[in-house]
Amino acid sequence: MPSHATTINSQLGDVPSHARVIVVDIRDTPSLAVDLTDDKIQELWEQPIQKVITELQDAHSSGCTRIVVVTPLIGMSGAAGYSAQAAVAEAARIVVKSAARQWGKNGIVVNAVALESAAYGIDESIAGPVSIAPRAMTNEVSAKGIVQWLCSEAAGDVTGQTFIVDGGSWM
Amino acid sequence: MDVTTHTGTRLQDRVAIVTGAGQGVGEGIARRLAEEGATVILAARRAETGEPVAEAIRAAGGIAECIVTDVAKGDSVQQCVDETVRRHGRLDIMVHNAFSGAVPHLLHEATMEKNWKLMSKTGVWACFFCARAAYPHLQQSSRRGTGLGGGRLILITSPSGVEGSANIALYSPAKAAERAIAKSLAREWGPEGITVNCIAPVAGSPALAIAFERNPALKDAIEARTPLGRVGDITKDIGSVALFLASDDSSYVTGQTIVCDGGSFLGL
Repeated sequence: MPSHATTINSQLGDVPSHARVIVVDIRDTPSLAVDLTDDKIQELWEQPIQKVITELQDAHSSGCTRIVVVTPLIGMSGAAGYSAQAAVAEAARIVVKSAARQWGKNGIVVNAVALESAAYGIDESIAGPVSIAPRAMTNEVSAKGIVQWLCSEAAGDVTGQTFIVDGGSWM
Repeated sequence: MDVTTHTGTRLQDRVAIVTGAGQGVGEGIARRLAEEGATVILAARRAETGEPVAEAIRAAGGIAECIVTDVAKGDSVQQCVDETVRRHGRLDIMVHNAFSGAVPHLLHEATMEKNWKLMSKTGVWACFFCARAAYPHLQQSSRRGTGLGGGRLILITSPSGVEGSANIALYSPAKAAERAIAKSLAREWGPEGITVNCIAPVAGSPALAIAFERNPALKDAIEARTPLGRVGDITKDIGSVALFLASDDSSYVTGQTIVCDGGSFLGL
């Protein structure tokens, strides 16, 4: 069975050769903080965040000028039972800002898309709702439109930003 | 070394551990909590830094001890917590402040070995170590009821963990992760009455003092961009925010980051 990241990636469409889309890959298995053994921290935090950092470096060395990181919204909202995964998500969202600050002078723009956590298989009945307000929209959401735009020439003056795609849960 | 005066009782009978308390922000927090009656364990990597701070607190009438602790090792954090509870019977407040490895680098030149692993270990892994070791005792503290305790986990993050960093690229994700952990544990532990919050300080730490020495213009630049026109004091400014989060005054505040930087970051 493909990972959630693979599935999300397959839905984003083709991107230009000067662009790179990095989909943060987290595990959807919940684990309470007291149960986070060293092995689990390695698996749920260290490996995924190192992968994001390495992929950003690879995008830079490949000469990409449009870089988009798609990350689950739980980084911004927090999630009970998913603290290690939320740490990865937020770390990925914020390293985007460091990259944007350092690489902007070279014409490289770097942005983040925070995608609703259901797309990553996060169980909201465990994690808790991202907001006390109900989701504004009822339709399924896709990050394809915003990712395609961020990879285009039109987005050349936009960097270090986070675009939330969740049907209006987190505002 | 300045002498802290033992003045209040807001944390009377509470027991706190502060990691990285041998200097800087951790020292300021330890001093302020002790001023308000807390028994403070200074979890310092080196006794040479932790013991003098503990002695100064005791000289001012406070209660403090140093337990040598390496926050990058889960066993060491567990031993510190176990020893604290063995000596004092409880643990109410866990403050994770220790952090190492933040040296300037470019993201595309960074290596995991040189620029990431130490920050990840002392920052993020240590948050998990502190959380899992302290949890049963913070739970017990909250069961004592209002005015008698209330489990508190306080994580020290940074404004860079919110807005990224142009100088220390990988410092930002390590500090951002701490905020996400705080929000997640606030949700996870809220039903137990345990609060989890972050402080994002800009303060006169030894690291900042060295940076000012290397680059005298930096101090002027920071003060110029700060509405309050100065760098924060580790005890009066940062320690007092930690005191609020540790005390009963903050019992309905959880999952939050208090940016304590004189107003230089206004993005929340």
